[in-house]
Amino acid sequence: MTTEIQTETTEIQTTRGKVYVIDRGRTTLRAGQGLLTGLEVVFRHFRDALTRKLERPSQQTGVFTVQYPEERLKLPEAFRNFPILLYDDETGQELCTSCFQCQRICPPQVIHMTQARDPATGKPVPAVAEFLIEYDACMSCGLCAEVCPFDAIKMDHEFEYSTDVHGGLTLNKEALNRPISYYEKIAPTFWAEVKDSAMKKLQGNMKRRPDLIGVAPQMIEKIKAKRAEAAAQAPAPAPAAPEAAPVDKAARLAAARARAAEKAAEAVPEPATDSAPTDKAARLAAIRAANAAKKAAAEGAALAADAAPPASGMPADKAARLAAIRAANAAKKAAAEGAAPAADAAPPVVESAAPAADAAPPASSMPADKAARLAAIRAANAAKKAAAQRDGSEE
Amino acid sequence: MTDILRSWIGGALPDWLIVLIAYLLVTLIVLFYAVGNFIMMVWAERRVIARMQDRLGPNRVGPAGLLQPIADAVKMFTKEDIVPRNADRWVHLLAPIVALAPVAMMLAVVPWGRGWEPIDLNVALLYIVAVSAVSGVGLMMAGWGSNNKFALLGAMRAVAQLVSYEIPAVTALLTVVVLAGGMSLLDLPYMQAGVPIMGATILCGDPAGCSPLLYSTVTSFPGSPNEPVQALDLGLGWWVFTPVGFLGFLVFFIAALAEGERTPFDIPEADSEIVAGYMTEYSGMKFATFYIAQYILNFALSALAATAFLGGWQGPGVAALANMGGPWVHVAAALSAFYLLAKIWILFFVMIWLRGAFPRLRVDQLMDFAWKLLLPLALVNIVSASLMVGLTQWTSAQWGGLVNLDGFAPWQRQLIAVLVTAIINIAAAYWILAINQRPREAEWDEEELVIAP
Amino acid sequence: MNTLITVLFLIFAAIILASAIMTVTVKNIVHAALWLISSFFGVGALYLLMEAEFLGVAQVLIYVGAVSILILFAIMLTRDLEGSQNRQLTPRWWIALIVPAALFSLLIVPTVMTHAWQLPPPPPAGQPPAISGAQQIGAAFMREYLLPFEVAAILLTVAMIGAIVVAFEERERRRRVLTLAEQVRLRQRQQQRQQPAPRPEPAATAVQPSEATGSET
Repeated sequence: MTTEIQTETTEIQTTRGKVYVIDRGRTTLRAGQGLLTGLEVVFRHFRDALTRKLERPSQQTGVFTVQYPEERLKLPEAFRNFPILLYDDETGQELCTSCFQCQRICPPQVIHMTQARDPATGKPVPAVAEFLIEYDACMSCGLCAEVCPFDAIKMDHEFEYSTDVHGGLTLNKEALNRPISYYEKIAPTFWAEVKDSAMKKLQGNMKRRPDLIGVAPQMIEKIKAKRAEAAAQAPAPAPAAPEAAPVDKAARLAAARARAAEKAAEAVPEPATDSAPTDKAARLAAIRAANAAKKAAAEGAALAADAAPPASGMPADKAARLAAIRAANAAKKAAAEGAAPAADAAPPVVESAAPAADAAPPASSMPADKAARLAAIRAANAAKKAAAQRDGSEE
Repeated sequence: MTDILRSWIGGALPDWLIVLIAYLLVTLIVLFYAVGNFIMMVWAERRVIARMQDRLGPNRVGPAGLLQPIADAVKMFTKEDIVPRNADRWVHLLAPIVALAPVAMMLAVVPWGRGWEPIDLNVALLYIVAVSAVSGVGLMMAGWGSNNKFALLGAMRAVAQLVSYEIPAVTALLTVVVLAGGMSLLDLPYMQAGVPIMGATILCGDPAGCSPLLYSTVTSFPGSPNEPVQALDLGLGWWVFTPVGFLGFLVFFIAALAEGERTPFDIPEADSEIVAGYMTEYSGMKFATFYIAQYILNFALSALAATAFLGGWQGPGVAALANMGGPWVHVAAALSAFYLLAKIWILFFVMIWLRGAFPRLRVDQLMDFAWKLLLPLALVNIVSASLMVGLTQWTSAQWGGLVNLDGFAPWQRQLIAVLVTAIINIAAAYWILAINQRPREAEWDEEELVIAP
Repeated sequence: MNTLITVLFLIFAAIILASAIMTVTVKNIVHAALWLISSFFGVGALYLLMEAEFLGVAQVLIYVGAVSILILFAIMLTRDLEGSQNRQLTPRWWIALIVPAALFSLLIVPTVMTHAWQLPPPPPAGQPPAISGAQQIGAAFMREYLLPFEVAAILLTVAMIGAIVVAFEERERRRRVLTLAEQVRLRQRQQQRQQPAPRPEPAATAVQPSEATGSET
């Protein structure tokens, strides 16, 4: 029945528009022949469907039904249904930092979260305290996973959520949490793409989380047990840890203060003299630098610039470096902010900005590590820019 | 049945009551038989059509989905019965009953097995045709009573289709009437004993030496009209193996498809065009009644086609078992009932097969097909059937001296008749198909043609 | 048995009469047609009661299966199905009652008066001659009443030919509208006639097989 197919396309203009005609080289069928061919084809399908399944795509006949609850098709990696939160298998640390990006972008607004706070200080930490997603209103758009800068929220492949309990589809953090290994299993290539950056960010965030904050709730017990085990097994390295901890903590504190200073700089500036008492040289110097920067909003960038060199000159302490960066940022911000409102009262500020620029070179010449130098350069640049802006606004 | 009851409860009840009870029992048996088959048909149709479409079909309720019809029935029973506000309430209510009742009545005259005949009606064939025509009234009532344009359209289509396909169906059945010399359905299976093509014409030369397993007593056509003879009987002398019967079967089966509103002809309920036709406004049990009516109609038409052309309950072994006498007669009856059921189911499978393969016809194509193709073929077939009867049964005197076949043996006459009718039927089929071809395009005269805007 | 038959006869007669009365009194003409069908059924049942199976079945086939369907078809094409604006009785209804009654009695009364009624009827002697089997009717048509039968056949044929002629006149006037496929093929042939070699067209975008374009006017 099948003759050789030679497709020759012709174009015919009719009153009803253009029609393209393919000549399939069909032989003329006798009456009823086409009907019999159709019957034969259908019978072939019937016969084959009784005996075999459709396995290869090239196969034309055979049952293609997948008996769903018993058999399942492999879902493609990019399949997305509802979002889940990831946590690290080892440490139990969640990748989420409660940056609120997903909450903001969610079109049906079904994501809700609260940021965790350090119980000791009451300051927010980059971790999430509670996380709610209303699956029943989720539209599976996947925007939350797209937007997440920490790769903490991902789209799950699970789709069997039928329930007669309406409220049961609002999931909390514990229900949303999945280990990274789970996601790696359902979407290996996707995870491989983001793995390094995500883990790096997680390492950074973990340092700013006090104790067990940010640990997946279902992992807390396990982590505690692990720690106890570790403490029992290795008493020797234990002292080292407490030693390191204060340093770490202090550094973090300094950083937090620097950030607070940043924030304060935005608010009404007030003399930040409370942190003045000199005790621990480097770190406090850095803190002072930050405070000074805060002051600079009112008094000018000069002080900040003055303070920067000592900070950059400190031994290679990470916290110090951080403080320096913060200081630089603060200086930048202060300068910028001072520029806009106080355009009339500019001259003194401009003058004070200049020394800041002068003060930069010493910082760069210091033998301190690269980061510090960089911070100093940035501070200098910021000061310069501020000066230039002021010049511009003056003119 | 009446006799059995009489022997059981003899004088305890008046005779008329026994007769009444017997009729009631037979009615119940036949109806349950049909409804049981309906349930199986629904299941089978869904399963088979699924395989044809490379699916599995319902397989969850019960083993292999066998209980699916029960689940469907439960659903139908519990559904709300909705009557449209402006519907003609009584007509709407009565329509499904009027549609189902005649269909159920058709079952009364079919011989379900050797000796298992509910009613011996001497105009059975005409009765079936008449009764099936009544269901058209039910469809019309449904269409009109629903006060719905789709329902009315569907009913109009259904009735137009029924009326026009009745004619080829009746004409095809007329060949059976001519062959059988009567309209009773009961005689038809007995007449289709024998061997393929030749029928019961191969006679036993020596009455003493013929095994009763191979030879049985035949009293009527073909061969010797009235005196009983011993003829070779394999239970395969079905009329479908003769040219007349084959053409008649084709025409009748196609017409039956149209009457039963099966797929190439399911125009009345074309769901892509007019929702569900006359059933649009029906729900719950009323809808189920229409549904049952449709399947039982298909069942009855298949039974009729099988009885009229495929030998009915006739099949290999039935006559032999019956000849052995004693309790074997009942075995023969059971076997014959199985044969008829198997034939009905094969025909039903073909119906499903056609449904899986063919798209729906357009209304004008449907009418063209009935009036231009099936009816002429059926008419030619009646002529062939008459010739067949004349060549095999008539004496020279009946022919008026035109044809003298008196000297030939029955099988020779049968062979001549088969050849003659085959030539006539094939030639007629070719001719009618040829004149039904579309006009050649070269005949178009361009000035007369109108191009659609 | 006789009483049973009498009772059945009375029931059927009542059904026939009631249906007939309903046919002429209901306002809705579809209902009227349905009552008419019920009346036809009753007549068929009476035939069966007389053991005239062929006539009974033919009655159902022709009157219920064909005639009433045609009546319903005709009714569906009329306006005012509900009959809300129809008046059942005119002011001169009594004239309409008297005239048919007079005609009826003119025909029936002499028969009733003159016929020698034997009540109860004499028991049938032996096997009564079957009057209504298909074979008897066929034989009667082909022998005794051949001429009327043929005349009726000719009359029906003429009517049918007339219907066909009427339909064909209608058809002649109707203009032939080409399907898209036919139109395409026509254009193709025209092109071939004008330029022997059809120009090949590469890379068509909207491609339709020639068969799929047709079937719609």
